Amino acid sequence: MIERIVDGLLDDREQLSITLKTRNGVTRRGAHPNASGTVPPAKTRDITFPGSTVQEAWRFTVLVRILELIHNCLIDNTIMTKRDMYYRHPDLFMKQSVVDRYVDDVACTLGISRSSLNVTAAAKGLVIGNFDILRADGTNVNGRNEQEGMLVPRIHLNDTIDLSSIRWILVIEKEATFRSLLCSPQWLSLGSQGLMLTAKGYPDLASREFLRRLADNSPHIPIFALVDFDPDGIAIMSTYKHGSYRLAHENVTSKDAPTLNLPQLRWLGVQSHQISRTPGTESDTDNDTIADVQGLMRLTTRDRMRALKMLEWDLCAEDGLEQAWRRELQTMLMLNIKAEMQILDELPGGLTSWLSAELGARQGPVVEVGGLVSQAASTSSDDDLLL
Amino acid sequence: MSKQYLTLHTIDNAHPSDVYSLAPTKDQILSASGSSSIRIYTSDQPDFPLVQTLDSAHALGIHHLVTAKESNRAASAGFEGKVKLWSSDEEGIWTEDGEIVDKYKPGDIWAISLSADGLYLASSSINGRVNVWSTAKSEGLPKIREYETKGSFGLCVDLSTDGRFTASGHENGSIYVFNNDTGRLSHSLAGLVHPIRAVSFSPASKLLAAAGDARIIALYDVNSGEQVANFTGHGGWVLSLDWSSTGEYLLSGSHDSKAKVWRIETRSCVATHSHGDKPLWTAKWLPKATRSEMFALAGGNCAISIYREAAG
Repeated sequence: MIERIVDGLLDDREQLSITLKTRNGVTRRGAHPNASGTVPPAKTRDITFPGSTVQEAWRFTVLVRILELIHNCLIDNTIMTKRDMYYRHPDLFMKQSVVDRYVDDVACTLGISRSSLNVTAAAKGLVIGNFDILRADGTNVNGRNEQEGMLVPRIHLNDTIDLSSIRWILVIEKEATFRSLLCSPQWLSLGSQGLMLTAKGYPDLASREFLRRLADNSPHIPIFALVDFDPDGIAIMSTYKHGSYRLAHENVTSKDAPTLNLPQLRWLGVQSHQISRTPGTESDTDNDTIADVQGLMRLTTRDRMRALKMLEWDLCAEDGLEQAWRRELQTMLMLNIKAEMQILDELPGGLTSWLSAELGARQGPVVEVGGLVSQAASTSSDDDLLL
Repeated sequence: MSKQYLTLHTIDNAHPSDVYSLAPTKDQILSASGSSSIRIYTSDQPDFPLVQTLDSAHALGIHHLVTAKESNRAASAGFEGKVKLWSSDEEGIWTEDGEIVDKYKPGDIWAISLSADGLYLASSSINGRVNVWSTAKSEGLPKIREYETKGSFGLCVDLSTDGRFTASGHENGSIYVFNNDTGRLSHSLAGLVHPIRAVSFSPASKLLAAAGDARIIALYDVNSGEQVANFTGHGGWVLSLDWSSTGEYLLSGSHDSKAKVWRIETRSCVATHSHGDKPLWTAKWLPKATRSEMFALAGGNCAISIYREAAG
């Protein structure tokens, strides 16, 4: 298909032009008429050669070079990482994000996922847990092989996943917290029942794809998110749960590119009512104040702007899907505070005890309702009850 | 000596989300929350029925709502950064009466306060600046005073009943009193170090109460700027303060969901009430209509509770 574009271009000698679709700069803000589940259309732009400016000529060169690299990959049926592509011509591409953007735009234009172009990103996420992946060739990947977590493995179509020991999946925003949990003495027992993943901030496609495969494989296992109590934390959780608008084309449902969203993702923390239980805000410690509690901070101007922009998301609208997010964003703005998840370490017993208690409480009686798994009302969080 | 207050009525599900602000008039309670509408309840009937809903007042939610003590005006401030003015007719029906937009930037106006006659509106802002606006529509709602501070977020603001003073409380613990006649700073009060989340002038404009994350309520003499008393006892951050109409009592509400009534004369806490287990965002006295004092509490549990002084 790429060949066709290039061929067509070569026939038409007068002016070469490639039409690209992009979702760059598309945001969630503003209500979209058919709110849930739909994504805004991509914008289109033409990149022509000879261009009117040096800038445009450069863009065309970059694009053609990327198309050529992708073309080669597809012909040889090899897989290339975006980082590889960049290192082929660092002086042409200038920076990694240029490659990233054009590759995503090419995928968006063709309406297919990036992996169909045989282009991947180097794995960024770390995962650990009591799971096995049985490869089609007979080899076996065990989730506890690496003491400190392994890079998120790619699950191929014919691989079998064994999650029989797993009772929960926990997605953590930050690597530091992931590591400190691994180091805690209680992890040995806690970790035998679960799977923990961090994509170190905003999740990459590989991590989202991995989680989605697990979820499709075992829809009864609850998936929890533990993120900072700040606008970025909620935005990161949103990327796991509802996907990214920029990469909406990755969500196409076809047999080789399953949708990546995790609508069943549940918010474990950090939420405002959990902070108010930490010593700094607790009644009996008079002179201990908020400033003394590690992890509790004031919002920056950027945080406040970000929170306001997120309140404009259709998800956070008054009739949006994520009422709890709206409430927590407003609470942040009202009190002008945010908290990193390290604040839960201030609780007696630290983060690990908190985690095992919360996970235990939410395992609770699981009720099957017409194939959908839902939690008994008594174990849902306070915020769910407000809905 | 303690006083007894009884729950007179609770309006459950007064709002679909956290109630951030209550603003009473003689016979109504206006309420605002994280939802986009202002809801108005009648306070002269025993079951406090909902009489009016101002839909889509502020799409992103409403963080502050105030009424003028002696006129039919109200003002609301939304997360999107706008302030709307409202006024009511003889039947108590509210309609929009104009908008104050400061450079269209959210946070340029945060907390608001109306003077008793409703002719002036004071506002705090994220960059510490304190502004006073005229609410005269014919003049285009001009800004008439602009006070510079040291740039710390102004979390709260109050106008004195006589309109002479503006007070502001800031995140860095500073408390300022400005003289509106001269347009100058009259006092920079010895602060409580921690964020100040509520300031309130006594009805006679002689005293100023201030409180916040230090969990202490400080009383200042407005003329001298001296601190005259300290009320301790709250276990959580103090989020709201309100004087009774006579100036005898001070009502305070805390993040730990507790409200306290303080007797000014004896400098003591005379009553403590718990409003669920969610933050108590707002606590307000209702203007005295009967012989007994009444106040209303609201917050994270989405309900408004009205308390009445026990007869005796």
